[in-house]
Amino acid sequence: METTEIRTQIKEVIANATSIDVADISDNASFEDELGLDSLTLLEIAVDVDHIFKLNIPDEELSERLQHLHTVQDSVDLVLSHMTSEKVGV
Amino acid sequence: MSTRVVITGIGLVTSIGIGREVFWKNILAGKSGISEVESLDTSAYSVHKGGEVKGFLHEPYVRNLNSDQIGRASRFAIAGARLALEDAEVDLEEIDRRSAGVSMGTTSGEPNQIEQFDNCYVANETEQVSPYFISSYPCHYIAGHVAAELGFMGSNMMIPTACAAGSFAIAHACEVLRKGRAGMMLAGGADSFSRITYSGFARLLAIAPDRCQPFDKNRKGMMPGEGSCVLVLELLEHALERKAHIYAEVAGYGLSCDAFHMTGGHPDGDGAVRAMEQALSESGLSPAEVDYISAHGTGTKSNDQHETVSAKRVFGKAAYETPISSIKSMLGHTMGAASAIEAAVCSLAISDGRIPPTINYEEPDPECDLDYVPNEARNHQVRVAMSNAYAFGGTNASLILKTCEGQ
Amino acid sequence: MERSVVVTGAGIVSPLGDSSQAVFSALCEGQSALIDVDLFSTELMGGLQAGEIKDFLPQPYLGKRNFRPLDRTGRLVGAAVQMTLENGGCTEEMREEQLVGLILGTMFGGLHTIAEFDRMGVTLGPKFVKPLDFANTVINAASGQTAIWHKLRGVNSTIATGGSAGLQALAYGMDLIRSGRSDTLVTGGADELCFESMYGFYRADMLARAQNGQPACPVPFDTHRNGFSQSEGAAFVLMEEGQAAVDREVDIQVEIMGYGAGYDYSQGKNEDIALIAREQAIRIALKDAHITADQIDLISASANGCILNDHYEARVLGRCFDLEKIPVMAVKSALGDTLGASGAMQVVTLIESMKQDLIPGIYPLEEVDTTYSSLIKNNRNRTAEIQYALANAVSADGNCCALIVKKP
Repeated sequence: METTEIRTQIKEVIANATSIDVADISDNASFEDELGLDSLTLLEIAVDVDHIFKLNIPDEELSERLQHLHTVQDSVDLVLSHMTSEKVGV
Repeated sequence: MSTRVVITGIGLVTSIGIGREVFWKNILAGKSGISEVESLDTSAYSVHKGGEVKGFLHEPYVRNLNSDQIGRASRFAIAGARLALEDAEVDLEEIDRRSAGVSMGTTSGEPNQIEQFDNCYVANETEQVSPYFISSYPCHYIAGHVAAELGFMGSNMMIPTACAAGSFAIAHACEVLRKGRAGMMLAGGADSFSRITYSGFARLLAIAPDRCQPFDKNRKGMMPGEGSCVLVLELLEHALERKAHIYAEVAGYGLSCDAFHMTGGHPDGDGAVRAMEQALSESGLSPAEVDYISAHGTGTKSNDQHETVSAKRVFGKAAYETPISSIKSMLGHTMGAASAIEAAVCSLAISDGRIPPTINYEEPDPECDLDYVPNEARNHQVRVAMSNAYAFGGTNASLILKTCEGQ
Repeated sequence: MERSVVVTGAGIVSPLGDSSQAVFSALCEGQSALIDVDLFSTELMGGLQAGEIKDFLPQPYLGKRNFRPLDRTGRLVGAAVQMTLENGGCTEEMREEQLVGLILGTMFGGLHTIAEFDRMGVTLGPKFVKPLDFANTVINAASGQTAIWHKLRGVNSTIATGGSAGLQALAYGMDLIRSGRSDTLVTGGADELCFESMYGFYRADMLARAQNGQPACPVPFDTHRNGFSQSEGAAFVLMEEGQAAVDREVDIQVEIMGYGAGYDYSQGKNEDIALIAREQAIRIALKDAHITADQIDLISASANGCILNDHYEARVLGRCFDLEKIPVMAVKSALGDTLGASGAMQVVTLIESMKQDLIPGIYPLEEVDTTYSSLIKNNRNRTAEIQYALANAVSADGNCCALIVKKP
């Protein structure tokens, strides 16, 4: 899957969880500062992203991952890294 | 009119015992009620433990109602009620049941009933939904069924303020008594284990994998539990007249709202502080006079830290001299029953001169540096005890109990 | 001396309108909230109608904000509370100074959210349940959400006593203000229309429907009544300490004089017990208000078309009051039964009634049993001077609450 498509889908997930228009979510938007998302919304976004991209992130790892999820780009990187690790059978 | 409300009976259904005696013995022994979850299949979850009340039999308690048509939390509540009345030596034939009321708290009501509805729905067998769903699911039936079982006609209230519900219910019962709207009140809380609750907390990454370790540096979260506690409350004169044994007096309470976040308190502990201050003010007591605090102490990183901050804001230096323990270390979080069970613990601490421990405490957290009564119960004279509860929705309650003077 | 408690604002969202005046006019015109349901399929219920607030959107009331955290119940409450605060001139400043609290009466809370959350877990697995929805699976969720939304940091409580919850919430609030624990509160009730509750009532055969050649008749007190019709909405009042209201020169709508409660422990099965519990609630309310039954000028009944409960209520009203003289209104004839909201809706419409000295008729009441024949006089609008009014709310299982209000 192309990075652009991943980014678009992630923005849609964010839009669903927040009612923010996709057009108003920049590629590098910061979750806490710019988009004003609270911890519960962030968790929901992470769960939705996991579901849509079939990442199968174990709960133990999710907790750790959430600490490093601060921007849209972080989410894109998360998806990419999981897709890559699948390909190499990690 | 007198306003002094006392506690004269305690009934409990918990994962470490049913009935006041067994419960108190086990809680002081630091017994854990946490085990592998059996009431639901946890293979798809990353956590598998909880504080279920295993082997609970409702038969000795549910005598008048059809137990097939009432939910689990209602059965817990009825059991708690009967045990409390027995403990208070109340003869149901002697009391005026027209002015005997019920005030109960809960978080989820009867979730197993909606789960059964959903099972039918998901299997495309919606027509199989029970005709008794609507008279067993709504949470007000918990208080309603207690009254129906016992023949109580007085004020009947259900206050589903989540994790603080027990305290809210007890506070309301006090007001009902003080205004002369009832001669005797059964007050407490009940909640049952459910897949909704377990899934929710698991999804929030809030459930500890193995043990609940409130205030410990390595605490990993809460532990869902279930159970009930019902107290008999009456005005002092009424209790004295019938020569009832008095455990403690309700000195005061405080209720507040953070209006900040649905599942977490304000980091400054604002609402928690206001609730404690209100309770102290109403009780006419200073923080230094509190001998024991029953903490909300769920075992999550944030709650335990915020709770420590707010205790220090209210108690100042006295915070370091006031033991504060969390029985959730043993029972897990019994939701709507929790603060009712904690009120029972405060009552028993007052009347027995002993305080329960926070078990599973291994490594102190520099940010949580109070005396959490680690691992071992303690002899400790308790004239005044405070119980704190902080709920989903940001609503908070602090209840203060004290020795009943002038009996 | 006990503090007095007054109402200085009101707000309502209902299938008959979103202002007290609009709803009251609809009652007086004999309108009905019942309509084909769009929110979910009623195929399994033979296409039964219900009171649904069509195309309900929170934005007109609450502005353009992120509504994802609020479910339907949360939005109904948020909207009605917004209007209540505006109507009573309760500014953000006042809310902060006085630590205004919120008391919500509800029967189910966000039941649809609870069920959907559960079903998602069952079908997709527990890994994919929605965290934001879990926050709304607690029955006090709407109360918490609204407190955040409107910055209400006083006492925040939720009362769940079935269909009497809305009135019980007002009573609970009254006690808090009388005792000095609160100075100002928003109190009321709400329940959303959803498949889960409506189908539950349907399975218990409690909803009015065409049967045995008779049409559906959700008409309070009617001889041919055969159940109630479910509806939805939210209604709140701003209540405050009497002197404070006078000091801030706000319009006082009514004074809350007293309430009484009782529980029918037979849960409808024993007429004697059912009547005693209902009468107890009324008698205690009268005593609490320091008035006698003959001082009541208007009764707002709980009746909703249920065969037994309407009968019990009619009998007990007959026991306590001279129904030849005292008019009775029954708003569920028009609004349907809004469950936890209904008691609060009764009070909001009573306030309008008292402002206009006009009592909406119970439409389309056609025939009543001979035991309570005088009730038939209430099937059309009437005028009367109303000083004291009593709202009566009884849940399906017999949780009884009576609240007395007085014109200022």
